[in-house]
Amino acid sequence: MEKVKKMFRYENVGFLFVLPAFLYMLIFVGYPIIRNIILGFQDVNAGNLVRGAKNFVLFANYTELFRDEIFVSSLLNTLRFTVLCLVFQFAVGFLLALFFNQRFSFAKPVRGILLVPWMIPITVTALMFKLLFATDIGVLNFILRTLHLTNANIEWLTTPGTALFALICANVWIGIPFNMILISTGLTTIPKELYESASIDGAGKVQTFFSITLPLLKPTIESVLILGFIYTFKVYDLVYVMTSGGPVNSTHMLSTYSYKLSFEMFKYSKGSAVANILLLILLVVGLFYIRITTKEEA
Amino acid sequence: MDEEKKITGKKNLLFSVLSVLLLCFLLFPLYWALITSLKNEQEIFQNPPTFYPHVLNLKSYAAQVETGDFNMFRSFANSFLISMGATVIAVLLAVPASYGIAKYHFKARKCMLLSFLVTQMLPVSVLLTPMFIMFKNMHVYNTWIAAVLADATIGIPFSVLILKNYFASIPKDLEEAAYLDGCNKFSAFIRILIPIAKPGVMVCAIFSFLYAWGDLAYGMTFILDQEKRPITAGIFNFMGQYGTKWSYLTAFAVVTIIPVALIFIFMQKYIVSGMTSGAVKG
Amino acid sequence: MKKRRITALLAVLAMTAGLLSGCGSSGNTGNAPAGDTTASAEGGSQETASGGGANEVTVWYYMETEGHQVALDQVIQDYNASQDQYQVTAKYVPFADFKKQLSIGASADELPDIAILDSPDHASYVEMGIFEDITGKFDVSSYYEGTVNSCTVDGKLYGVPFGVNCLALYYNEEMLQAAGCKVPETWDELMEAAKALTSDNVTGLAFCSVQNEEGTFNFSPWLWSTGATSYDLNNENGIRALTFIQSLINEGVMSKECINWTQGDVMNQFISGNVAMMVNGPWQIPTMQAEAPDLKWKVTLIPRDAQYASALGGENYAVINSGNVEGALDFLTYATSEEKVTYLMDKFGYISADKSIAEKQFAEDSPYQPFVEELNYAMPRGPLAEWPGVSDAISLAFNQVITGTASPEDAAAAAQSTIDGIVKQ
Repeated sequence: MEKVKKMFRYENVGFLFVLPAFLYMLIFVGYPIIRNIILGFQDVNAGNLVRGAKNFVLFANYTELFRDEIFVSSLLNTLRFTVLCLVFQFAVGFLLALFFNQRFSFAKPVRGILLVPWMIPITVTALMFKLLFATDIGVLNFILRTLHLTNANIEWLTTPGTALFALICANVWIGIPFNMILISTGLTTIPKELYESASIDGAGKVQTFFSITLPLLKPTIESVLILGFIYTFKVYDLVYVMTSGGPVNSTHMLSTYSYKLSFEMFKYSKGSAVANILLLILLVVGLFYIRITTKEEA
Repeated sequence: MDEEKKITGKKNLLFSVLSVLLLCFLLFPLYWALITSLKNEQEIFQNPPTFYPHVLNLKSYAAQVETGDFNMFRSFANSFLISMGATVIAVLLAVPASYGIAKYHFKARKCMLLSFLVTQMLPVSVLLTPMFIMFKNMHVYNTWIAAVLADATIGIPFSVLILKNYFASIPKDLEEAAYLDGCNKFSAFIRILIPIAKPGVMVCAIFSFLYAWGDLAYGMTFILDQEKRPITAGIFNFMGQYGTKWSYLTAFAVVTIIPVALIFIFMQKYIVSGMTSGAVKG
Repeated sequence: MKKRRITALLAVLAMTAGLLSGCGSSGNTGNAPAGDTTASAEGGSQETASGGGANEVTVWYYMETEGHQVALDQVIQDYNASQDQYQVTAKYVPFADFKKQLSIGASADELPDIAILDSPDHASYVEMGIFEDITGKFDVSSYYEGTVNSCTVDGKLYGVPFGVNCLALYYNEEMLQAAGCKVPETWDELMEAAKALTSDNVTGLAFCSVQNEEGTFNFSPWLWSTGATSYDLNNENGIRALTFIQSLINEGVMSKECINWTQGDVMNQFISGNVAMMVNGPWQIPTMQAEAPDLKWKVTLIPRDAQYASALGGENYAVINSGNVEGALDFLTYATSEEKVTYLMDKFGYISADKSIAEKQFAEDSPYQPFVEELNYAMPRGPLAEWPGVSDAISLAFNQVITGTASPEDAAAAAQSTIDGIVKQ
């Protein structure tokens, strides 16, 4: 027993396990992050990208951005998009995970097939939703008209308000299997004995859910939400293909606006500044997550 | 607990029917893409729309085969190669890392967990240039290695975060028993913990694969030669070429989806059971 | 198999470790010759776009149409066969990716030797300093003035026009006859015709109004026809142009979907019979003839407000200064010869930028002929290094008007203030 205890005291062995992955990420993403932070404080554009002095302008890019209507609206869009997507995809994904955790004959095969949307490249998904939401030939408009929910075709992708809605629908569609499968796998980590003893104690279904399932699933839920938040917040491909930020910039996200500034307008530093703001927001969310998870363990 | 008992009889039927209805609803966009690809342009623009092709039109599929120098099979092979490479790197690095984070309370632990998260916080647009410069200096620009290396950076943090919950849920006494049997840290990890965490590893492998499979920006930026590019780049080109010629576009989409869907359906027994069975005993 | 992957992985890790020290200042570790054998062993042939041996010449282009690619390849093959000093290869980079790839390539010093790029972007790359000054190396005196201007900065020539095009009005002859309209020449006549042509399944007019350079290209003829310029549009003329577009939408003779239709989409709508008239370029003609051989259509000048106007489009060749300049110049001399230009333009559905070639390029009754006439009224966008910003402001303005999110007056005022901020003269 002495020997075992001694081994566990060497907590730092864990460091060695983490090191390779850490170094890998440091090399490939660490440098870009640092480069980008510096770039955000400079004034790099077409004129001095290759040659010429790259002056430091401190916060000028940032102050300019906050006076830029498109930036402010893309910041709000990103937040709106992320929160709405998360709520819907998580709720539906969770319910589906619980449903398919029941052992009925079709449970496993159907759950398997439901993962298909997740396998489709986002470019293709964007394309399919563009077709569904098309004004004249879109099937969604047809269904709405048939159900008499609307008289005239809704111009989903050419009206500022509704285009964001279409994007959210597409993203939720991709996100549901993601949430479902991660929660399903999380459910399997809950030891069956716990449920057995709960049912012996006479606990009802709802009670077991709140006293056993939910608490034990908490780490999974936290990971799913934080990962969901981060990946949704920097959504790019989907928006780029479906709306390219339009109509009239109404669906620009921080990521698409950053891209536009950098590679269409040649304002590299401003594009980087947008990305840094995105990073900062996600950093706050990340710190929050770390605090919750480590508090639990303490 | 009910959830672990097999459901039989009427309830089984009800649930099964319900699940199929759910399936139809959720997969409707796929169905719509499929039938659109089989219609001709007139029928696509028809109002009210038709829910199955009244005149079967296979021209769009024929066009896929005829189109120029774009070789769909080669693009598939490229995508597959890139995704496999990225998956292998991600799993090899993420499994030990998540174990370390879950089981050891070393000092830099919090900091490392956060830094894995941070690596996912930059949008792809600003990662492209610095990564490009690195790959060029490493002499892997315009090879699939560049895309593999870049794609793995999505899979690793994801896998670490998911797997760490897995390892954390494995009771310590299992490990201790292994030490008593004469295992050291590393052999205990490989012989006892990995098999237990297999479903989690499976999920991470699949997700890493799919992230790489769906990647567009990296594959397109770091690989210049058309013949080395992944399938997503092909789709993107195709969209540029055909705009809203829906019969062509959806045919292309269907052709790109089918092989993956087939692989998945054949493998799903292993994938799904790998992910959701073999849970923690003890 | 497994073992090989692990070895490959280790090799990669070792390489990255070596890089870590050098990544602060780019280029430290990049001194090995391009044909580095260790890297190419697994990744297939390792080609670098620039500096890959003195005799390699790489061309980047973005034309996605198959016929265009085949024609370009043919000229390159002919060139390679005609001499044995240089070997030219062409690489297709999608249009949506072209600017990005050039930007990144400029940062990483990884560029082709020749780029065939969209003319309004030319000035920006000149400012970036990646193009070779080729003043005096090519005789461009017989070229259309606008095309030469697009590759000239501060009196120096930084490129050679590849080919030229402009926009004109296509109309469906049968539909026009059935509606009893005459070919419109003025905005009023256009509106009248468009109204008459619009029915349940057909909209009268369409032109690409996407919120990007492509849309700006298509909006420019309307703007310029009033007498407004791209830099000065918050006035009666600029507002009149925007108001006209607004009335096309409000009258239902043009679909709002135009903001999502590329020029290719507009052409598809036209040949499918969903649109009776469209503004588009001559490069659509080969596709239209192939895909809708029975459709009867004609081309005419874009109807005018105060004057005829059209936007000049097309591509320029540019020589990258860090690449194989000699080889690039040698190839360009070959490719700009009258014989090759005629061949390329014919296959592309373009008009030669060389006026002397253009004027005898088409037969009198050719559908291309109206475009040659329209060229007399066509003006270039820019040339200005900051053009992408100006273009962005303009495309936002007409998108606001089309979607009804701003009045023509407000849109013009907003665009003007953005443009004034960019063009400080």
